[in-house]
Amino acid sequence: MMNMNDKLGREEVLDSLWSEYRSAFPDPEPSANFMPNLWQKIEARRVDPISVFRHFAKICLMGTAALVLIFAISISRLKVEPIASNYIDALDAEHASDYVEVADAL
Amino acid sequence: MLVEFELIERARSGDDSAFNQVVQVYRKRILGTIARLIGRPEDVEDVGQEVFLRLYFSLDQLRTPEVFEPWLYRLTVNAAYDYLRRQKRRRESRMSDLSEQQVMMADAAAGGKQSDEDQRRSKVREQVEDLLGQVSDEDRILLMLKEVEGLSLKELEKVYNANENALKVRLFRARQRVLKAHDAAASKDGRESKKESADAGITG
Repeated sequence: MMNMNDKLGREEVLDSLWSEYRSAFPDPEPSANFMPNLWQKIEARRVDPISVFRHFAKICLMGTAALVLIFAISISRLKVEPIASNYIDALDAEHASDYVEVADAL
Repeated sequence: MLVEFELIERARSGDDSAFNQVVQVYRKRILGTIARLIGRPEDVEDVGQEVFLRLYFSLDQLRTPEVFEPWLYRLTVNAAYDYLRRQKRRRESRMSDLSEQQVMMADAAAGGKQSDEDQRRSKVREQVEDLLGQVSDEDRILLMLKEVEGLSLKELEKVYNANENALKVRLFRARQRVLKAHDAAASKDGRESKKESADAGITG
């Protein structure tokens, strides 16, 4: 069973680890290209709103193509069921043993 | 607040020079937070630019300039979280291509080029990264904001748009998990050093 001192000790070790971690990662100086690159990205997104639409259209197109593919695969894998037997066939199958019984009686 | 509300207001109304000033004031702090959240210095600027890019296109949704800082932190958290998710996928596919021995050799080669101070920092980073590996990315970010970045519960409430009690519970659970991992690592180290000293006793 862990006593109170041990528990407090662990908490303190963890707290000092957090502060060591903070000093191991000081705030980095931004590079000289930080602002130019940022504005380049902003301009790229601002100037070309069509690209967003194009991106959306591309996703829709890919989705449709995937659906068509899935349908095509599932249709090709579908087993063709034989045509269900009609009423006469069903009746015949059910009373097949009757014929044998009548023949035996004769 | 590091800037006047009026500057935020001007940036919000589409003044690019005001936005530029806001970025220049906050970028160092945000880059520092990102560095600690994602743990990879080489990608910090990219993620930082993503944060300010999102800020530029979402400033019009900011209700009042008073909530600017929590808003900026929220964007930072989201960008860091997106990055960590992408990184996890990439790392899984990359690591599966390498054998364990190749990974260890690459690590050793990278370690050989570092100075003592860098090595100490790397050790601390590695230790904290290992501990944080025991919690989810969401909890990792929450713990970082609270314990490393020093945000108060009130500030976290605004960042997460969640109530204080819920955040307290999440933080408590995450901290317990990290403490448990810390204990496990400490007892493993203890066993290894005992074994080493026993081996030395046999050979000595």
